Amino acid sequence: MANEDDFDGNRKEIRRDFLKKLAAAGSAALMTGQPQYVRANDEGAKHPTAKADACILIWMAGGMAAPETFDPKRFSPYKEGLEINSMLSTFPAIDTAVDTIKICEGLENIASVMDRATLIRSAVQPDLGSILHSRHQYHWHTGYVPPQTVACPHLGAWIAKVLGPRNPVIPAFINIGQRLEGIGEVEELKAFTTAGFFGNEFGPMNLPFPEEAAQSVRPPQGMDANRFANRDRLFRRMLDRNPSRDFMSDYQQESMLRSFDNAYRLLSSNEREAFDISQEPKEVLEKYDTGRFGRGCLLARRLIEAGARFVEVTSEYVPFLYWDTHANGHETLAGLHKEMDLPIATLVRDLEERGLLERTLIVVASEFSRDAIVEGRPGSNANDQATFKVEKVTEMKHYGLHRHFTGGTSVLMFGGGTKKGFLYGETAEERPLLAIKDPVSVMDLHATMMTAMGISPKTQYLIENRPFYVTEDGKGKAVTEIFA
Amino acid sequence: MFNPVQPAQRREPSLQLAGDFTAIGRDRCYNGSRPNPSYHDLFFRMTLRFFGFSTPVSFAWLALSLVSQKSFCAQETVDFAHEIVPILRKHCVKCHAGDQKKGGFSFNTRADLLQGSENGPVIKEGKSDSSQLVEAVSSEIEGERMPPDGPRLSTLEMDLLKRWIDTGANWEQGFAFKAPAYEPPLKPRKPELPTPKGDRTHPIDRILDNYLANAATGEHSGQSLSDTSFARRVSLDLTGLLLDVDKLDTFLAESPANRREALIDRLLADDEAYAEHWLTFWNDLLRNDYGGTGFITSGRKQISRWLYESLLSNKPYDRFVRELIAPPTEESRGFIDGIKWRGEVSAGQTLEIQFAQSVSQSLLGINLKCASCHDSFVDRWKLEEAYGLAAVYANKELEIHRCDKPIGRKAVAKWLYPELGEIDAAAPQEVRLSQLASLMTHPENGRFTRTIVNRLWHRMMGRGIVHPTDAMQTEPWSSDLLDMLASDFAEHGYDLKHTLRFIATSSAYQRQTEKLQADSETREYQYRGPRAKRMTAEQFVDAVWQLTGTAPEKMDATFVRGKVDANLAQSSQPSAKWIWSSDGQSTLHQAGEKRTFRKQFELKKGFGTSGGTITCDNRYTLYLNGKRMSSGDNWETPVAVRLVGLIEGANELVVVAENQGAAPNPAGLFCEIKIWAEGDSPLTQAPLLSLESDTNWEWTTQLPNEKGKFAKDPADWQAAVAVASQRTWRAVNPKLQMELARSKQTNIAMVRASLLKSDPMMRALGRPNRDQIVSMRPNDLSTLEAMELANGSILAKTLSNGAENLLKRSWQNSGALIHWLYRFAYSRRPSDDELEIATELLGDHLSARGIEDLLWVVIMQPEFQLIR
Repeated sequence: MANEDDFDGNRKEIRRDFLKKLAAAGSAALMTGQPQYVRANDEGAKHPTAKADACILIWMAGGMAAPETFDPKRFSPYKEGLEINSMLSTFPAIDTAVDTIKICEGLENIASVMDRATLIRSAVQPDLGSILHSRHQYHWHTGYVPPQTVACPHLGAWIAKVLGPRNPVIPAFINIGQRLEGIGEVEELKAFTTAGFFGNEFGPMNLPFPEEAAQSVRPPQGMDANRFANRDRLFRRMLDRNPSRDFMSDYQQESMLRSFDNAYRLLSSNEREAFDISQEPKEVLEKYDTGRFGRGCLLARRLIEAGARFVEVTSEYVPFLYWDTHANGHETLAGLHKEMDLPIATLVRDLEERGLLERTLIVVASEFSRDAIVEGRPGSNANDQATFKVEKVTEMKHYGLHRHFTGGTSVLMFGGGTKKGFLYGETAEERPLLAIKDPVSVMDLHATMMTAMGISPKTQYLIENRPFYVTEDGKGKAVTEIFA
Repeated sequence: MFNPVQPAQRREPSLQLAGDFTAIGRDRCYNGSRPNPSYHDLFFRMTLRFFGFSTPVSFAWLALSLVSQKSFCAQETVDFAHEIVPILRKHCVKCHAGDQKKGGFSFNTRADLLQGSENGPVIKEGKSDSSQLVEAVSSEIEGERMPPDGPRLSTLEMDLLKRWIDTGANWEQGFAFKAPAYEPPLKPRKPELPTPKGDRTHPIDRILDNYLANAATGEHSGQSLSDTSFARRVSLDLTGLLLDVDKLDTFLAESPANRREALIDRLLADDEAYAEHWLTFWNDLLRNDYGGTGFITSGRKQISRWLYESLLSNKPYDRFVRELIAPPTEESRGFIDGIKWRGEVSAGQTLEIQFAQSVSQSLLGINLKCASCHDSFVDRWKLEEAYGLAAVYANKELEIHRCDKPIGRKAVAKWLYPELGEIDAAAPQEVRLSQLASLMTHPENGRFTRTIVNRLWHRMMGRGIVHPTDAMQTEPWSSDLLDMLASDFAEHGYDLKHTLRFIATSSAYQRQTEKLQADSETREYQYRGPRAKRMTAEQFVDAVWQLTGTAPEKMDATFVRGKVDANLAQSSQPSAKWIWSSDGQSTLHQAGEKRTFRKQFELKKGFGTSGGTITCDNRYTLYLNGKRMSSGDNWETPVAVRLVGLIEGANELVVVAENQGAAPNPAGLFCEIKIWAEGDSPLTQAPLLSLESDTNWEWTTQLPNEKGKFAKDPADWQAAVAVASQRTWRAVNPKLQMELARSKQTNIAMVRASLLKSDPMMRALGRPNRDQIVSMRPNDLSTLEAMELANGSILAKTLSNGAENLLKRSWQNSGALIHWLYRFAYSRRPSDDELEIATELLGDHLSARGIEDLLWVVIMQPEFQLIR
């Protein structure tokens, strides 16, 4: 029991209630093949007091180049004949609100809130022998390298499962900005955008287009609120008059109706206004409206205010688009800087203003970094996938970091009890730009996030009679240095 | 000797896991997850749990042992029962007895103790100094000490333990700390049937009546089912469809004496509806789909056509499984080949290990996932056994890995039940696979038949006889029932439809469902009647399409549906030519020669369905516009194909063809595919376009990538030549006619959801990503699913289109529509109250809007969504 008691009062309530429910559901789960909760066995382990009860994951899908964002290296300005070999950063470094931290030009607004941030520069990913974004993303989002013998739950599903919704009306896990139909590699994306063996109840509510999110909690298109309410009323009347209602009044039916009630509650609640970003004042909307991603950040803020537990906002993974720069990296990133800079900084300030930053953990991360030369990491068998295999820059499209790099990646965090203006880890100044101090694995990063949320990294469920942990084998160790 | 095993205690271990929330050891690694090996190498790191551990058994035994041991108690001998058992019980038993085998070590029985752990013997009789057990309990090193947490052994306890080992580690014969886990029988068994109760002579009812007579609450839960409820249930269970109003009327008009059996027979005789319903179940179980992870890198193959045709022809299950394990053609290979990911995967998820896991889980209800990483801590399976099975499939030497680290031994091909026969490890892969196929379907392999009949029982009755259905090592609630069904299944030629019919004709099946309470699942299961099942996503979607006439015209499956009409086959003369490249010496071509053929063609707007056939001497893969359509490696079995992904404008058909054999021999490709105008019937109308292999086709020696695309278009395309038809080829003509005919029989019935890729609604309603094997879908409706139903755009659009469709029909009045809808959706008439509410909803004039809302109200009712 030791560690659970270290958590704050609010969390204990949730836990106790949760366990009570489980006591009833425990052996039921065993009989139905549903996963069963097993209390984390980490007696004696010291956890920092959890301060976060909500989380926003800002996902820079496709491989956000650290040397072009939060870990600037020697600047190599564009010039014809520039040796690819000597190219490290294609953006110069700028000062931030923290003297010891510099980031890349183009991120001035984020620089101005760096005094609220913890910046990890030493995140590392495994070498999977081949770079496949979806495989690395699966690993990053579930903690397990695919393929796996069971369907692994997304981090958001873990948090939804263990902590439950923060506001019962708002789905606990909301996923903003990623299309799951009609683009490349969707099947691979779907494989981890799921609650896996936890079941649908803990799965993501997908909102690929922030500006259309309101529609997902409104009556179907073409149906006004009155008709929607009337339809529901008739549904209930019909249910009451069902001639076989008596011998149907069983548990299965009740649980089905409970789900309908939950759905109806959201669809008719005040909270559903949170899904409608058009209700923001114009000047606020403008700060966020740098594109779909920026609007997603605004939606995330509104949903967190309304009581969402875990929100992922992604710049979207589409093969060869956005951060997935196989060519023309510099120009693409200049555009991405514009898209991300003001919305992320505004999100931080807005949450701070509302007194929500301390209880909301914001994590800006990507599946790996990029490099101009090294594919994977030195010595990897990964194929070189750069579009133009040139030795010198002769055109703009050669300028940028076009290989995938797993040896040193930046992760930016705000709020949720993390330190302010804190730098952790370091990468080499010259190629290979490997993490040379305090490397943080995906597993330990997850342990850190979970710890911030008050979830033991050893939290486990039994599925198919085997324990399955929130961090691989329960081995994740939180980077406790980053907690204030 | 006293045997401490009592049935009442058998389930104890699992219930303790469930109820106490005590920690399970943290050292079980998760297969495939690249654990830190040092973490696992420690042979018994364990976690102490504090729960009251005492059973009546052990007290009874203690009482007895007081007497039995007295006589030979010498001064120096340690009293096992009074001195050792309490120590082990206090410190060790939670992780190393019963079903717990942390580090592969158990001392549940003396034999277990002597067997030791994964790291070798744990005690040396008479030598406590060199016993690992003593070393571990004395150690202070974190990660080595035992128990890993909680209080250490006291000095006194330590001394006793050492003395016990030094004096030979005596044990009370027959004593076990916990009842050993149930070990299911392997051989089939034909139980003697109890005397029938009155006229209830069906073997299932005889067993269940007897079961209930002996049970604590010995009665069925409900009444026998009404005719109409029966009709709805059995139609959904056997064909996945609602019984339409005409069929319901036919049924109700028949003689009551045998109309239920007649309906069952009619439903099962509808081969197409049956196949297209059960496709869902098998796709889940064999993780097959039309899209999914792995296809993008060509790391996965469909078995859709083979599966469909196997279900359509009700292929005997033993043959079905033999074709899955030892594929006679490419068409059924996908199951054993698994999913190949680009890059490196952990040792626990290589293709060979996937093979072992899939074959054992799908076909035997065995979970080898633990054992493919280390000796299982929860059941009997060992690492060597998992690798033995994997080696049956392996094409190269397979190094055994324990928790992702090689242990310096090679796997030797063998199978899980050597008592039925052995695999010749030295034989080539093909031979090993066919040996495995024979052993799997061996008449004495009762596990094989029990596993499948249990799955069928679960689908029909809502709960397995063994449950969950993939945990076949657990005890059935009626072994008589399970064994009888299994042997009956084998006796009837492994006929799946027979067993379904057998279950459906029992009065057990034809009863009302059990009323479940919130705690029904927590109590120990006792059979009281069938349980209601939630419609699968596919059943729900099909039913809505049935009601609203909104099924799509196109499907994602590339196979051609339905059975072949003999007359149509007669009139379907092939007209394409056998072709090959123009570079051969006379008609002979090198063995192993590969050629790419192509046909480019234009399509204008307004094209509709397509269909045809293809075959090749010897091997081909057909692509359309960069998508793989079909492949084959036996020219004697042409298949019907449809082109999925035709586009307006330029299209390209590409065939990679290969000649095989030992010496130069004739090679030929035959392809004839027609495309009809939208709305035209292939049966009565001429095609828009006929793509027939002839000299207008082109060939090159260059080969495209795995998607049938060239990075750079070859510059050397040349005209193909017609090859003089060989006598042997001509013999294939009747089969070509059959397949051409089959390909014309498109859309003879509504396209079913099982023939389509998953969409957001189906996914929301529980259709799984088929990356893993799924044998039971969740039975509960989640909030997100409810939201999808309340305002999801797919359903809303379907209902609004459906309402328009229904409005176009001529209804006498709104009452007529309501009656029709109720009888179709629920197989019953509306009550007066319902009629009143529905009439109020529809208003005075039928409107699309009113119909749409009524449809929604009707399909949202639990009565609709549950099969009860």
